Amino acid sequence: MLVQYATAVAAVILVSVHLVMQGVLVPYATAISFEKILSIYSSGIYAIFLEALLVVVLVHGFNGVRIILHEWRQTASWGTWVDIGTVIVIIATVGYGTRTIILAIFGGVGA
Amino acid sequence: MGSKGSAQTKNKRGVWGWLNPYHYNLERWAYVFQRVTGVAILAYVLGHLGDTSFFVGGPIGTGPSESSWSFISGIVENSFGHLILVLVVLIVFFHGMNGIRLILSEFGLIFRKPSAIEYPYRPKSMNAFERYLVWIAIAAAIIAAAWAWLILFG
Repeated sequence: MLVQYATAVAAVILVSVHLVMQGVLVPYATAISFEKILSIYSSGIYAIFLEALLVVVLVHGFNGVRIILHEWRQTASWGTWVDIGTVIVIIATVGYGTRTIILAIFGGVGA
Repeated sequence: MGSKGSAQTKNKRGVWGWLNPYHYNLERWAYVFQRVTGVAILAYVLGHLGDTSFFVGGPIGTGPSESSWSFISGIVENSFGHLILVLVVLIVFFHGMNGIRLILSEFGLIFRKPSAIEYPYRPKSMNAFERYLVWIAIAAAIIAAAWAWLILFG
């Protein structure tokens, strides 16, 4: 549960900053414009922030689902497969999100 | 044996047990909503991973693409999409605030010192402040959702 609590505290902080930047500090219409997003990724710092947000939220979310699935059925083999599946899903989704961030920074701007 | 068996069955209801908070107290309802909102937020996050990937052309994109971003924006940036965002803000704030309460509870920071239970058998470790935090979480969620509504529809 320590992972769940640690990621929960981190998520509260990171999600709060994310929400404040998406409509409070910057008008929403501007925040979702292509040029603004491109400039944010180019800054690097915010890209690192988004990566941290990605990892924290996905680990917290899928670990939460893992806990629910452990409560659903309590057999050793089920628990093992749930744990393995959770790790695989976290790696896959973090990988997909990281790909977006990396391509946004280093990919050539297309049409 | 029969009563023992039924007690064991009652204690091993798993997910179906926590999905039914009827006849339980406020904390039990908060527990159910914590889990339901958690699963809902994860579903949104996965969808958000999908829609933000269109900034770089989608699953097979290679870099920032304005046409791809315009395409996905045309799908999600409308009244229905904004209503979903308001609901997401509502459940994210409840989940976050109630989660803070749960962490404080887990580490015993908002409980009174336990003592012998006497009639009318209310646990003395639970206090009003602990219960107020549930309502604070609900109030914070409603205020945040109203704020999001003003930003998106105002």
